[in-house]
Amino acid sequence: MSIFEYNGSAVVAMVGKNCFAIASDRRLGVQLQTIATDFKRISKIHDHLFIGLSGLATDVQTLYQRLVFRHKLYQLREERDMKPETFASLVSAILYEKRFGPYLCQPVIAGLGDDNKPFICTMDSIGAKELAKDFVVSGTASESLYGACEAMFKPDMEAEELFETISQALLSSVDRDCLSGWGGHVYVVTPNEIKERILKGRMD
Amino acid sequence: MKFDTSGFETSMPMIGFGSSSDLLDGFSSVPSFDLPRTTDFDGFQKEAVQMVKPAKGTTTLAFIFKEGVMVAADSRASMGGYISSQSVKKIIEINPYMLGTMAGGAADCQFWHRNLGIKCRLHELANKRRISVSGASKLLANMLYSYRGMGLSVGTMIAGWDETGPGLYYVDNEGGRLKGDRFSVGSGSPYAYGVLDSGYKFDMSVAEASELARRSIYHATFRDGASGGVASVYHVGPKGWTKLSGDDVGELHYHYYPVTPAIAEQVMEEAAAE
Repeated sequence: MSIFEYNGSAVVAMVGKNCFAIASDRRLGVQLQTIATDFKRISKIHDHLFIGLSGLATDVQTLYQRLVFRHKLYQLREERDMKPETFASLVSAILYEKRFGPYLCQPVIAGLGDDNKPFICTMDSIGAKELAKDFVVSGTASESLYGACEAMFKPDMEAEELFETISQALLSSVDRDCLSGWGGHVYVVTPNEIKERILKGRMD
Repeated sequence: MKFDTSGFETSMPMIGFGSSSDLLDGFSSVPSFDLPRTTDFDGFQKEAVQMVKPAKGTTTLAFIFKEGVMVAADSRASMGGYISSQSVKKIIEINPYMLGTMAGGAADCQFWHRNLGIKCRLHELANKRRISVSGASKLLANMLYSYRGMGLSVGTMIAGWDETGPGLYYVDNEGGRLKGDRFSVGSGSPYAYGVLDSGYKFDMSVAEASELARRSIYHATFRDGASGGVASVYHVGPKGWTKLSGDDVGELHYHYYPVTPAIAEQVMEEAAAE
């Protein structure tokens, strides 16, 4: 198994009508052994910007701490929150700095930009940005996730329907992956509120 | 570096004096064999074996107790990280009074168990009595030994009831055969052993033993990524085997650890001024 599959992970983000949803699994494992079932992969940067990191767990935590630091500095200097597009460029630059000794994670960035227009993107471990209009996936279950999202996604879904869709896509994909699952963690973000939910999934 | 062949030179007398004896004839030439062209002479063969060796991603267990033998297994088949099936039958019915468990290569286990079933039936017809569990496991172990090193992957337990009472043997692809009262095989076996060993008593009823077996498989599926699906439990008694239960492990978790609903905090922002 490769180093990206050492801890196991699944992250997905989807776009709705003036809202977005980002979801991840909750397993932390060491190859086949499950160590924890409450590992946090998605973190808030500010009220309208979330980042989910899949891949090696230590890099997930370190990279998140680095990004929060950079964002706080930006807030102090600019006296406002970072736009999602700007943040994506920042993450891409930070990852490419380590081109010959990379952080072994694939970020998924989701945010609401100007006029509450949802923005999602994903990157590989050295910062190649991939913008999408519908959904982005990453992690060990990514192939299953692509299939499930492609089948279930519809454009312009409202928050509740988006939550149902992303949850079903996540749970059915991680049920085909030995290394991810053990529950789900979903954030649905609209201009006025953030709804965080824990999903009851198969614990095998 | 140049390979040092001085160790291969024999110090035995070459060319018989007078009449050649049979013994010396066989030794008249220096034994030699082809050496592989590789940089890592010591490690390459191990690498080759590891490459063809499929990991035994599964959990199976069996134990003997007062009322017979309890056999249990999960039902997941995995190919690396991908789950190829959640509904594999890992407990194979060799004949109405003997069961075999499957761990390792599915094709290998299915074929060799069926082959064993054939041999057992032939034994019955030739000797007019059923084969013992000891005999059946020996037949399988000898067959696997003759294929040793060819990459078969079989980690099985043969459980049955014969004239001497309950019998349990562990047989694997290296040709090993062990008699015992408690075994667990597969990547999830350490977790299953933990629960099984701490809860085991010889004087258990069938209900208690089946609950112990089910719980052990459930705990193994929770911790091990390569085990999951359905926990099947079979009992082998004096009149043969019966299937006791087949519970979906996903639901078993919430049966053992029900979820208490908790209120999650919801973050509310100021509504946008219109």
